[in-house]
This record gives sequence, structure tokens and C-alpha cells, in this order.
Amino acid sequence: MVKTILSLVITFALLVSAALFENFFVNAQFEKFSAAVNSLQEKVRNQTANRADAEAVKTLWDAQKKLLHIVIPHGDIAYIDYWLGEATGCIETEDFRDAVSKIEVLVTICKQLPEQYSVSIENIF
Amino acid sequence: MGLIFLRTAIIFIALLAVMRLMGKRQIGEMQPFELVITLLIAELACIPMADTSIPLLYGIISMLTIFFLHQLVLLIDLNFQPFKTLVGGRPSIVINKNGIDISQLKKNNLDVSDLIESMRAAGFFSLDEAVYALYEANGQFTAMPREDKPKENKESLPVLIINDGKYDQNNLRLTNTDEKFFDNILREKQIRSVRKVFVLTMDGTGKIYLQCKGEKYQTFRIPLPGGSAW
Repeated sequence: MVKTILSLVITFALLVSAALFENFFVNAQFEKFSAAVNSLQEKVRNQTANRADAEAVKTLWDAQKKLLHIVIPHGDIAYIDYWLGEATGCIETEDFRDAVSKIEVLVTICKQLPEQYSVSIENIF
Repeated sequence: MGLIFLRTAIIFIALLAVMRLMGKRQIGEMQPFELVITLLIAELACIPMADTSIPLLYGIISMLTIFFLHQLVLLIDLNFQPFKTLVGGRPSIVINKNGIDISQLKKNNLDVSDLIESMRAAGFFSLDEAVYALYEANGQFTAMPREDKPKENKESLPVLIINDGKYDQNNLRLTNTDEKFFDNILREKQIRSVRKVFVLTMDGTGKIYLQCKGEKYQTFRIPLPGGSAW
């Protein structure tokens, strides 16, 4: 009996901590990345962005995604990789009109992805 | 992870409810919740293992949730009897001193042929050989032999002639008899319609086990036309 109760408490504690860790970790990672994407978007709108700016965002993302792979399906990460690559290409060729739309997609993903992992009715069912 | 925990718990409860509703025929010597765990755990382990796009942690969290629910069910089982009955069910006595308990059979989605099959597996070849028979909560069949039963010469297997008000045409052919033959027997026993009969079995010596719906069973012997054919 004591063993059962103990295993229940430990398992529950592990599950709750995993849930809390995921929530804070994903939100924190995406907050940082969102800020970088927003600042890049600002520069693209002002037509002052260059490859180095895009590369800086990419470097930040590369560092973050290593850890995010533990908690997020790899398909979602590859999706961000794809749109970031597209935006970098457009910035390099100074096609700022296209770059704005690609970065807009990134901004939307950064907003939606953490929400997908939060505990809510629409996510449960 | 909180999401996976809740989703796994919901699927666990839904599967458990379905298993309980399906009755004892779906369970093979396991408690319903143990069967649910067996069903889920293999899938939970396999999906993240085979699909490299899913983090391994998803499988681990789901399995941890299943373990948590298993321990929880065990703990409540030990301390709260009504919950044990709700989750695991209770034994169903399908044969008692009056014969087959039709309502218990139906409640567990079983029919007479299932019961006869279980009886044979337990070493009882005639329905009147057991004074009590029951399906345990885990689906296992248990029977208590009739002590006062005289030892009979078991020459041939009793076959099911009438099953829930309907003749079994294959067994009629096997026994070299027809519906008219049994209609006459039923008339002699003041049974007006075959639909009133729940079960009628006959062996090669002409021994009949007859039980009408809502009545006690009876056994008697009849002369077979042309002797035993099987």
C-alpha cells in the first residue's frame, strides 16, 4: 500500500513537473525567437534588412531548436526552418515584398505553436 | 505534456468503459483495466519508436500516465469496493440450481453456444453436469460439478437442437431428426411453441436437456429414431 501510494505521488509529481517544464520552456523559447523575428520584420518593412540580420535570426533559431526537438514534433520545427530559409533568400535578393509575407508566416507560427501545446479544450479534443 | 497526460487519461477511461460494456466475452483472463493497459501500452511504445518525427518523450509521458492510472485504479480497488465492481465488474452466475440464467447470459453478450463451449473447455459436456457455473470478473469460466449426479455412460456428445427458440438445422441433420420430431416432444411436455424454449440439447443416448424461458430446466430420455447417428 505504502509502495503504491509512493509510486503514485512520484509519478504524479513527475508528470506535473514535465507539464510545467514544457509549458514554460516552449513559451520562453518562442518568446525569444518571436522577438528576433519581429525585429527582422521591422527591418524588412523599412527595407534595411540584409543577409547578416537574417543569419542572426537563423543562428538563434538553430541554437533553440536543438532543445525544442525534445518537446515538439520535428515536423513543426522543420516548418519553421522552411519559412526562415525562404525569408533569408528573399532578404538576400532584396525582394522585401516577398520577405514581408514569409516573415508574417513565421510570426503567425511563433504565436500559434506554443498555443498548440497548452492545456485547453480545443487541444484536448 | 499536460496535454498528453489528459489525452491518455481520456482514452484510457473511454477504452475501459467500452471494454466493460462489451461484456465478458471480450476479456481473456484479465481484468478489464489490465486489458485496456495491454492494448494501449504497445501502441504508445511503438508510435514514437517508429515515427522519428515524434519526440520520444511523448511515448514516455503516455506510458508514465498509464502507469499512474494503473496504480490509481489498484489503490482505489483495494479501498473502495463499489469502484472495484464498477471498473472490474462482478462474477456472473450463468448456471444455478434452476438451470441457465438467461438474463446473466444476455447481460454479458453471450449465448447458449458460448456457454456450451465454455462448459466443454472446463470438462463438462452436458449442461446438467454443473450445479453452478460462472464467468469470473476477468472472463474466466468456473463450474461446480453436481455431486448427486449419477455417473452416466458418455457415449456421444450432446448437441444443441434448439437455441433461443430456433432450431439448429445442422444439428438436426447430424442427429437424423427433424423439427416435427421435436415439435411432438414439446407438445408432450405441454410446450405450445418452440419459441418458448431457450435451450434443448440431446445426446446420442436420447437424453434431453430442456429449459424453457423463465422456467427450471428438465432432463428426460427419449427413444431415438434409428438409434444414435453421431
